[in-house]
Amino acid sequence: MWKKKDKLPACVTENVREDLIKLVDVVKVYDTGSIKVLGLKRVNLTIKRGEFVAIMGQSGSGKSTLMNILGCLDRPTMGHFYLDGIDTAELSADELSAIRNRKIGFVFQSFNLIARTSALKNVELPMTYAHISKKTREERALMLLERVGLGKRYEHMPNELSGGQRQRVAIARALANEPPLIMADEPTGNLDTASSVEIMELFSQLHREGATVVLVTHEENIAAFAGRIIRFRDGQLVSDLPNVPQSQGQEETAKTEKEGAPC
Amino acid sequence: MLLENMSMAIHAIKANKMRSFLTMLGIIIGIGSVIAIVSIGDTMRFMVSDIYKNAGVTLAYVYVWPKDGGDMRESDYFTLDEMDRLKEVFGDEISYIDSNASTNAEAVFGRNKVKYQFEGIFSNYPEVQKINIIYGRNLNEADIKGRKNNVVLEAKGAKELFGTENAVGKTFRTTIYGTTDDYNVVGIYKEDLNPFEAMMAGTNATRSGYVPDSLLTWPNDNIYGLRLYAKEGTDMNAFSDTFTSYLAKTKNRNKEDVTFYSVSSEMGSADTIMGGLSAAVGGIAAISLLVGGIGIMNIMLVSVTERTREIGIRKALGAKTRDVLIQFLTESAILSALGGILGVAVGGGLVLLGGTLFHMKVVIKPSVILVAVGFSALVGLFFGIYPASKAAKADPIDALRYE
Ligand SMILES: Nc1ncnc2c1ncn2[C@@H]1O[C@H](COP(=O)(O)OP(=O)(O)OP(=O)(O)O)[C@@H](O)[C@H]1O
Ligand SMILES: [Mg+2]
Repeated sequence: MWKKKDKLPACVTENVREDLIKLVDVVKVYDTGSIKVLGLKRVNLTIKRGEFVAIMGQSGSGKSTLMNILGCLDRPTMGHFYLDGIDTAELSADELSAIRNRKIGFVFQSFNLIARTSALKNVELPMTYAHISKKTREERALMLLERVGLGKRYEHMPNELSGGQRQRVAIARALANEPPLIMADEPTGNLDTASSVEIMELFSQLHREGATVVLVTHEENIAAFAGRIIRFRDGQLVSDLPNVPQSQGQEETAKTEKEGAPC
Repeated sequence: MLLENMSMAIHAIKANKMRSFLTMLGIIIGIGSVIAIVSIGDTMRFMVSDIYKNAGVTLAYVYVWPKDGGDMRESDYFTLDEMDRLKEVFGDEISYIDSNASTNAEAVFGRNKVKYQFEGIFSNYPEVQKINIIYGRNLNEADIKGRKNNVVLEAKGAKELFGTENAVGKTFRTTIYGTTDDYNVVGIYKEDLNPFEAMMAGTNATRSGYVPDSLLTWPNDNIYGLRLYAKEGTDMNAFSDTFTSYLAKTKNRNKEDVTFYSVSSEMGSADTIMGGLSAAVGGIAAISLLVGGIGIMNIMLVSVTERTREIGIRKALGAKTRDVLIQFLTESAILSALGGILGVAVGGGLVLLGGTLFHMKVVIKPSVILVAVGFSALVGLFFGIYPASKAAKADPIDALRYE
């Protein structure tokens, strides 16, 4: 599993665990038969534990391609992706499944809850695949639904919930196995402004509690919640800047600070 | 995890009730017809063996008959003394022995004439075959020893001959072996036939009655063959062997010239017929289950395609190839087993209905039900392999992007 690492220069492998995500010269080529499409062109990127990162860029710039690689749903064509020090290029499909199960919580634009299955069962699902006992599963799923404000709706089917509520169930599900990394690809893309703010508040809260959050968005006001904004164009990283998070709670404190300032 | 898979499978089957039912139809019809045919077969087998049990599985007929077509010798016949001696020598095995003699004769009373078959018996015959006397008495030792013209008649025939069932004390005239004589009715019995026997006897106009065996062996007491009942629990094969050897020696014949014909061999041939029937049923079952299985495979393929996105979600959340494989295999096995259970209900219901309509005791073996349901689950498992492996191999990104 660790064979290739030995061949890499020391600067790449050292401190690997401190960085939750480390991309080294990652290239993704989509081979559609007739033409080859470059999804990502030599991307180098490091995300440390506890960061809240927003990824932005035009349509087709490679955001989802990057998310698929970060989410261990796909592997780079060239280069290396280390998740928590593990080189995913070396892993089999089932090993990737196990990593997704334990280390990554997914939140999708289209919610992706399992139809005709209760909120509770949906939240339980990652724990089921982690072979956690039924009792623990149910207790924890209820607790998580409570936390996203849906404690009373645990028996509801996805089609009985609003978009915002569905996305909150999805977030509860993403937290089921307490993964270190939360990945969200346009989580507010299908929501109205009010629900979007609610969902982003939830992500901010998770971040404050120590989770690493990586989210893709088209909207500047959504990206404003993050502590770091990365921009892509044509499969390349074009800008990587820190950001002062704009969560509502912090906005208010910022205001009072301004008001309280002497000049 | 298995329980989890089963509840997921039942969930999925319930979500599409009508489609699941139509999918199961092939299995339902297949298993239903198998259960019905096997149960009918078992019922018939049970009836046949019941008849033989009434006739006594210990019954055997013995003849000495040259196999090469040569002439019979005087010594090939049996005598009354010989019968007594055989009973002594094989006292551990034989409980009853007689001449197996019977004769057809027309009984006449006034203007009434009834065709009879008279069977010769000894007085201890009721010890091996029940004679249900409703009026009068059985033949006794004195009737046999004295070669008395006393008879016991079956009730239906008595009614035809005398106009009343209770004909004890009445006398009729008949001709046995060319000698016409008067015969006294000393007893009347009732035959209890099972429906199968009644069906077979329905058109038979010949009535039955018992006469002293000694009347039919008279005057020369040259007995052609023996009818004997072995004691219960006798190993008929071993007994047949020693008895045949013994007779061959005393009659100075080859063993092949002695015929020992027992009912257990007849039961064997009945089983052969049933065996043939079972093979035919097996053929029907195989074809219908094949068709049912293909139906299940078809609908599972549709289901896998429809649920591509679900598969993608499950994989993204950590389902391994094996998890998805088992999920869909469980679903097709449960779908098929459910079809099997419904098939058992339908087939069994039809058989029970038939049983009540025809007043027959039907036999539905639990083992047959278990095998049927188990086998249909296996069919589901087998035909689920291809759809399930298709689902398990799906790439999570492609599956998630599927609309
Ligand atoms: N499975 C695929 N096969 C072929 N080409 C692909 C595939 N997936 C993505 N691409 C191509 O790779 C490039 C990057 O696509 P990607 O989906 O990552 O863009 P994106 O930034 O997520 O866009 P959007 O904002 O519209 O979601 C595009 O040119 C796209 O056409
Ligand atoms: Mg995208």
